[in-house]
Amino acid sequence: MPETRAITGNGAIAEAMRQIAPDVVAAFPITPSTQIIEDFAGFVADGKVDTELITVESEHSAMSACIGASAAGGRVMTATSANGLALMWEMLYVAAGMRQPILVAVVNRALSAPINIHCDHGDSMGARDAGWIQIYAENNQQAYDNMIMAPAIAGHADVRLPLMVCLDGFIISHSIETMQLEEDRQVQAFIGEHKAFHSLLDTANPSSWGALDLHDYYIEHKKAQQVAMANAKPVIEEVSERFGKEFGRRYELFESYRLDDAERVVVAINSVAGELKEVIDELRDEGEKVGLLKIRVFRPFPYAEIAAALKNSKIVTVLDRSTSMGAYGPLFVEICSSLYDANPRPMLYSRTFGLGGRELLLDDIRDLFEESKRYLNEGKIEKTSDFLNVRGG
Amino acid sequence: MSEKYGLKNWQELALGGVITDGGNAADYETGTWRTWRPLWRQESCINCLRCWVFCPEGAFVLKDGKTPAGKDRKEIKQIDYYYCRGCGLCVRECPVNKKGKKKAIEFVREET
Amino acid sequence: MSKYFEVRWHGRGGQGTVTGAKSLAEAVQGTGKCVSAFPDYGPERRGAPVRAFDRFSDSRIRIHTPVLSPDVVMIVDTTLIGGKGLVEGAGESTIFVVNTERNAAETKELLSLTTQPVYTVPANSISYRLFKREIPNSAMMGAFARACPEVISLEALVAEAEKIFAHILAADLVGKNIEAIKCGYDEVQTA
Repeated sequence: MPETRAITGNGAIAEAMRQIAPDVVAAFPITPSTQIIEDFAGFVADGKVDTELITVESEHSAMSACIGASAAGGRVMTATSANGLALMWEMLYVAAGMRQPILVAVVNRALSAPINIHCDHGDSMGARDAGWIQIYAENNQQAYDNMIMAPAIAGHADVRLPLMVCLDGFIISHSIETMQLEEDRQVQAFIGEHKAFHSLLDTANPSSWGALDLHDYYIEHKKAQQVAMANAKPVIEEVSERFGKEFGRRYELFESYRLDDAERVVVAINSVAGELKEVIDELRDEGEKVGLLKIRVFRPFPYAEIAAALKNSKIVTVLDRSTSMGAYGPLFVEICSSLYDANPRPMLYSRTFGLGGRELLLDDIRDLFEESKRYLNEGKIEKTSDFLNVRGG
Repeated sequence: MSEKYGLKNWQELALGGVITDGGNAADYETGTWRTWRPLWRQESCINCLRCWVFCPEGAFVLKDGKTPAGKDRKEIKQIDYYYCRGCGLCVRECPVNKKGKKKAIEFVREET
Repeated sequence: MSKYFEVRWHGRGGQGTVTGAKSLAEAVQGTGKCVSAFPDYGPERRGAPVRAFDRFSDSRIRIHTPVLSPDVVMIVDTTLIGGKGLVEGAGESTIFVVNTERNAAETKELLSLTTQPVYTVPANSISYRLFKREIPNSAMMGAFARACPEVISLEALVAEAEKIFAHILAADLVGKNIEAIKCGYDEVQTA
């Protein structure tokens, strides 16, 4: 029987990991993702899952061990945050280049310095070019659901890429929320068998991994990765549809919330979507044509689909919870690219918020929609890019 | 491009660059890289096999033989010039060469 | 209940304030409501003031922002009184549940409250009596049920708490915590 429970986002991810029952988890816990590994270590110790849990001495080693275990043919998972993900950096590219469907829960947290443990998306956004599929979650339920879908996506024969499930640090990871945990057997049937394409342990069929690959072949391998990413898009749609049929919760590449006739649209990622929906409902009651486009899949980025979804919008505010120093926010850049060919093209501007956990309250969101109303009426955007809720303006 | 160089297209590559044909170093004709040629002199060779150990291409071919006292041992049979790329490591490591009076491996420039 | 019923807890690091907020949410969740509970993490050191929040609703809770205008304020440590933020955002009928040995009228005055109902509970002495140490959460939960029976009745709280504690505590401690909830409920004073 599915079970309705109030558990934390981290707890929900740990439950998903228990149900996925990977062969190997190699981890080095870091705030705010620590509870995932603590809970999972409990499952291993209690014999609830038959996983080899490798406690390593750093995140670089965690990802290295994951890569080795994946090359040995195992289903492999880990969890990390911020500086931990940053320390994995080199190995993220190795996992992607070796086409290993390793699954990582990234509990989004700001990167040092100055040191901060709270949420922003600087960690996973920094890793957006590493060749990993990235799927984001608004709440505990979505984080859990995305993780349940992850093995079928990452391990699909047309894809074979590593995958990050991203959830907001503390806001989701440490909040308990009412959610539904699905039944073990039903989840395991949905996930299916893990198929390794080669195993280092198969001595009858030896394989070499990570061989030298110079200008005669490297670019062909990168092209193959890019094609696998493109393949991932329909696979994600297909797996999400199957998930919807099986468990009743429907997911697409992104969520369109009251978007059809919306003139003023906010594009955002992760938990802030909840606050946006709350304010949008209020403004809709007042007759305002406002809507939300919430990104779920950031890599591969659904450019054409987003352009189609925003075709009726007149002004688009893009909320980035990370910043690219010396450039526009990563989400804003993608939305601009999506809409370059749109005719007519909506007005577009970027607002960065929430770095290091700075709150964005419901009143702030009302102000945000007021601002977009003013810009739309005046036909002019005052500042293309700016920070929200920062002292000193 | 692939036609010109005989290389594979991206669609034909093994996933993740994994190599599954073990021992495929034997496919490479490194002998074409040679500008200097080692010449093995059986009459001076003491069959210490240092050349065989050091050769990066495995170009020294062995055969069964006997020590002067009649014990079984491996001996150098020949250099396989399909693989020898003329790096000269054998020439430098040869203990007979080091003594300086006569050479067990001579090193001569390849004729064009 | 209005759209969201919101609770704000004030305590100090190490007193189990966050656990208290989470346990209460789990109990309310057991009665069929949607809940969320989350802490406001600061430096995470023992003794530092910490806040935690609960939201209860008949429908799905979408927001994650800190509770700004609480329906209930739970004060786990009286030494926090006088510090900033305890009465912030409180409305005329915001309920205050305070762990203190003082009487309710005196506590109300200390908090400079007027219209707001104040419920005091000697949760520390209840805890000393039962556990020989200061873990006031269960008694605070009992006091909450006394102050807000429309959110959760004592019977429902006890039934849910038994299930929740059974997952994390040994059997004798489950019994003692249930006892603490009941004592907390019974020993409430109001003003």
